[in-house]
Amino acid sequence: MNEKTITCIICPIGCKIFVKTNGKRIRFTAGYKCKKGIDYAKNEALDPRRILTTSILVKGGEWPLVSVKSIKPVPKDKLFPILKQIKKITINAPVISGQIIIKNVLNTGVDIVATKTIKKQSIN
Amino acid sequence: MRDFQVAIIGGGVIGSAIAWELSKYNIDAIVFEKGSDVASGSSKANSGVIHSGINSSPSSLKARFCVEGNQMFKSLANELGFQVNWIGKYVIAKKEEDIKELEHLKGVGEKNNVSSLEIKNRLSVKLKEPNVDCHAALWVPTAGIIEPYEFTIALAENAAENKINFLLETKVTDLKKQKNGFKIKTNKGEFQTQLLVNAAGLNCREIVSMLEKPDFNIYPCRGEYLVLDRNYHSLIKSMIYPVPKKHSGVLGIHLTPTIKGNILIGPSAEFIDDIDDKKTTDKTMKTLLKEAKEIIPNLPNNSIINAYSGIRCKLVSDKDGGWADYRIEESKKTPGLINLLGIESPGLTAAPAIAKKIVQMISQYIELGYKKRLKTVKKRKHFSELSEQNQVKLIKKDKRWGRIVCRCENVTEIEVAQALSNPLDSKTISSVKYRCRAGMGRCQGGFCTQHIIKIMQKKFGMNIDDITLRSPNSKLFYGRTREVKDE
Amino acid sequence: MVELERLKMSDLEVDIAVIGGGPAGLSAAISAKQKGAKKVIVIDRNNWFGGILPQCIHDGFGIEETGKSMTGSEYAEIYIKKAEKKDIHLINETMVLKLNNNKDITVINRNGLHKIRAKAIILAMGCREKTRWTTMIPGDRPSGIFTAGVAQAFINLYNIMVGKNIVVLGSGDVGLIMARRLKLEGANVLCVVEFLPNPSGLPRNVVQCLDDYDIPLLLSHTITCIHGRERLEGVTIAQVDKKMKIIHGTEKKIKCDTLLLSLGLIPENELSKAVGIKIDNLTGGPIVNQFFETSISGIFACGNCLHVYDIVDNLSKDAKNTGQYATEYANSQNKGINNNNKYIKIIPGSGIRYVIPQRVTKSGKVHFRLRVEKSKEKSTLRIVDKNKEIFNKKLNFVTPSNMIGFNFNITSELLKSSKNLEVVLDE
Repeated sequence: MNEKTITCIICPIGCKIFVKTNGKRIRFTAGYKCKKGIDYAKNEALDPRRILTTSILVKGGEWPLVSVKSIKPVPKDKLFPILKQIKKITINAPVISGQIIIKNVLNTGVDIVATKTIKKQSIN
Repeated sequence: MRDFQVAIIGGGVIGSAIAWELSKYNIDAIVFEKGSDVASGSSKANSGVIHSGINSSPSSLKARFCVEGNQMFKSLANELGFQVNWIGKYVIAKKEEDIKELEHLKGVGEKNNVSSLEIKNRLSVKLKEPNVDCHAALWVPTAGIIEPYEFTIALAENAAENKINFLLETKVTDLKKQKNGFKIKTNKGEFQTQLLVNAAGLNCREIVSMLEKPDFNIYPCRGEYLVLDRNYHSLIKSMIYPVPKKHSGVLGIHLTPTIKGNILIGPSAEFIDDIDDKKTTDKTMKTLLKEAKEIIPNLPNNSIINAYSGIRCKLVSDKDGGWADYRIEESKKTPGLINLLGIESPGLTAAPAIAKKIVQMISQYIELGYKKRLKTVKKRKHFSELSEQNQVKLIKKDKRWGRIVCRCENVTEIEVAQALSNPLDSKTISSVKYRCRAGMGRCQGGFCTQHIIKIMQKKFGMNIDDITLRSPNSKLFYGRTREVKDE
Repeated sequence: MVELERLKMSDLEVDIAVIGGGPAGLSAAISAKQKGAKKVIVIDRNNWFGGILPQCIHDGFGIEETGKSMTGSEYAEIYIKKAEKKDIHLINETMVLKLNNNKDITVINRNGLHKIRAKAIILAMGCREKTRWTTMIPGDRPSGIFTAGVAQAFINLYNIMVGKNIVVLGSGDVGLIMARRLKLEGANVLCVVEFLPNPSGLPRNVVQCLDDYDIPLLLSHTITCIHGRERLEGVTIAQVDKKMKIIHGTEKKIKCDTLLLSLGLIPENELSKAVGIKIDNLTGGPIVNQFFETSISGIFACGNCLHVYDIVDNLSKDAKNTGQYATEYANSQNKGINNNNKYIKIIPGSGIRYVIPQRVTKSGKVHFRLRVEKSKEKSTLRIVDKNKEIFNKKLNFVTPSNMIGFNFNITSELLKSSKNLEVVLDE
C-alpha cells in the first residue's frame, strides 16, 4: 500500500486528504471533511484524469492558432503522449468551435475539439 | 576598404551632434555605434536638462560649452524639430544654512554670464510651486528641458539624411595608426579614415588604449532614476534641485519635469566598477523615493511607472572630489585622434557647442566647404498633441492615423510604422519607443507590444527571432508555439 | 460583428454606450437589450471581442453560471453570439479618447474621429497588469520579462514562444495557469515564487498546474535582483520572514531566460479619472451605488474596472444587473446618485478589504460583494450602524481570493437615519 496526500480541489478550503492505496483499492486515513472530498480523493488516487487544453496550428485563418480541449478528462499519465499527437496536426480554416479535431485520441475514448471559431483570413 | 575623411566612434549625443555639424559640409564621414540605435548609452539615460551654467567652475570648458550650448538650443529646436521647454529651475535651500550656498551659486552663475538669476523667498516659491517646501531658492530661468533621446535622434537622422554614414551594431575592435590616418577594425569589416573622433563615452579609454597608453582613468558613476506617472505632472512646474553637496561633483537628487509630463526623481550618484553596470538597486530606489518626499511631502507611493539608470563618465574618483573638467583635445601622442573625455553633465547642454569646436579642429586638417543644399528635417507628428481638426484631416489622408496602438500615450499605427522607417534603419522595440513613445506609459507595453510586433512582422517583414528589445542579443522571443511547416 | 463602414458613425446617438467588449461589456449590453434599450453599442479597442477571454484557452469558466466547465474562449463566444443575435452594434478597433459628464463620448478609429451621445454609459474597461515597477524589482532591465497576460497572448493567440527556462513570480491563478501552459509547450518551468506564505490562486490550480508537473512552489520568497544585460540570464531569490522582510543570507541565484510577472491587476480607470468620476482607493475602481452608478449621473461601471472579480460568472451576473439599471436610467432620465441627497456610505471595517457598493442611495434589497483581509476558518460578518449590530452572518472558511456575496435590506428608516454603515469581520 502506498501512502498519498491528495489536495482536494472541490472547494476553496483545499483539504489535504491522506490515503493508502495499492492502485486498485483505497483506504482513507485522515483529512477529509465531506463526501465530495472522499469521492474526489478516490478518483484522484485510483484514476487521476485531467482536461487537456492546448492549441493547434491553423492554415489560412484570421489567427494562426485554434485552441482545443479534450471533451472529457483524459488519464493524467497520457497527457504528454496526447499532446504529442495534437502538436502534429495542422487544420485548415474555417474552424468552428466544438468541431471535432481528433476523434478518440490515442484510444482513450476522448475527442479533441476546437474551443474557438477561426474564420478564413480575408484577402486584404 | 572604405575610406573616410572623418570617422566618429560613438553615436551618443556628442557623436551625433558632431555628425550633424559635419553634415553641413561636403565631407566623407562615418559614425560607428555599437548599440542598435543612437543614444544607446548615457545620452538617453539622464535628466534631459539644458543647464544654465551655474554649476560649472568659471573658466572651465564645462562652463564655457554649457553657456554656449544653452544659447543654441532655442534655434536648434526649431531647426531640428524637437521640443524644448524653458521651465526654469529652483535650487532650494531646505535648511537655513544652505542659503549661503545659494548666494555662492548665484555668484558662480553671474561669473559664467548666466542671466536673470534671482534669490526668491519661501512665499514666492510657494506661490509658484505649492507642493514644494523650502526656506529660499535660487531661481534660474534659463534652464530648460528636452527629451535627450529625441534630440540625439533628430541630430543623427538629419545628419544621415544629409549623407553622413551611420553604422549601427558596429563595435570598433582595433585601431592602427597609419601614415595618412587610421585603420579601423570592426565587427562589420575594416575601414580607413584620415581623422578619428573619439566620442565613445564610457568606452573612450578603451578606444584610446588601442592606439596609445592612456594617461587617464575612467571612474564610472551610476545615477538611478524613478519615473512618475504622467497623471502627477502638475506636482511641480519647474525643476527642483537641492543645494549641491560640496565636493561631491554631482548635483544631488532632484525632481525634473519632462516634456511629456512624467516627473523624474534622481539621479543618485554611486561610483561603480563596471562601466556597463546599469542596474537599479533596491537601496537607491528607496532613497530616491524618500528624498523626493522630502521635497514634495504629498508624493503618492504608487506613482512610479519606470526606473532606469545612466552612468557618468568621470575622470576623477570619489576620493579626489569627483569633479574634473572636460578633456577635448587632439592627442599629443597620436595626431589625428581627437579625444572627448569625461563628457558628463552638462554634456547634453554642451553638445552643440562642443560639436562646433570639433568641426573647427577638423577644419585645421580638412578644408570644409558648405553643402549647397541640405535636406530639411521631417518633424515627427504626435497624434496625441494635435488638435481634433488636424487629427481628422490626417485620418482622411491615411487611415492608420485612426488606429491607436498604444493606449497609454495615444500613439497611432502610422507613428509606429514611421518610427520603424527611420533613416538610421534602427528597428528594435526601443527604436520605436524613443521615436513615438509607444511603450512609455503606465502599462509599460502591456497593450502596445503585440501591435508593434504585428507591424514589425507584417509591414516590415521582420522575423520573430530577429525582434530585439534594444541590442543585438536582447531578443524578445524563442521561436513559435507551433512551428509552421512548409509544404 | 458590424463592419466599421456600414455603421454611419459620425455623430451617433445611442441609448446605451458600453466601453469595453469583454464579458462585462457584452453581458451588460445584452441585458440592456433585454430590458428594452433600442440602440446599444459596445466599443472595443481590439479587433476581437471577448476582452481577455479569447486568450484564456484553459477551462474552469462558467461552472456556476451554466453547470458546465468551459474555456474562456468558449465562454466569450457564447456572449458574442448572444450580442450579435440581439442586434447590438459591436464596434471594434475603436479607442475611446474621452467622455464628458453629459455622456458624450469621443472615439477614434480608421474611419475618423466620432462623437457619440449616449443616454447612459457603461464603463467596462477591465484591468491592466501590475508591472515590475509596481513593486520596484531591482536589477538589470533585460528582455525576457513579461507580465503573465502578455505572455499568454503571445503563446495562445500569436503563436509566439516567449522563452525556454521560465521563472514565474506570483502564485495567483494567471501565474499558475501560465506555468502549466509553458510546461505543456515544452518549456522548462523552474519554479513559481510567491511572496506570501500561502498561494494566492485556487487550490485546484496549485494541484493541476504545479503539483501535476512537479513545478516547485517557493512560498515566502521574493525576487531581490534581476540579472541580464541584454536578455534575462537569471534572478536572485530570497526568503522573507513573517514580517515580509528579506532574510539575508538566504539569497540564491536561479539561471533562467524568462521571467513571468503575475503580480496582480489594476482596474483600468484612466477614462473615469479624466472625467472626474470618484475612485475608491481600496478597489481601484469607481465608487458606485447599488445600481452600479458612479458619481456622475448616468455613467455606470461594471466588470473588472469596478473591482477585480474572482470568477467570470459573478462578473457577468453583476454586469447583467448593471445593463438593466443603465437602461432604466436611460428610459426614465432620473435615477442618478446626484439626484439623491440622502445616501448611506458603506465602509469596510476591521477584517474587510473592500465592499461594493460603496453607497446606497435608495431603500430596498442590496446585494453586497466584498473581499476579506485574511483567511479565517470560522468568522462572523456584521453590519454595524453607530455601534449597533443590524446584520449578522456566520461564515465558514473565508479567504481573500474568494469574493463573498450577501443580500441586505436597507429600509427607508435606515436610509433616513444613517450616514455610515460599517461592514466588519470578527472571529
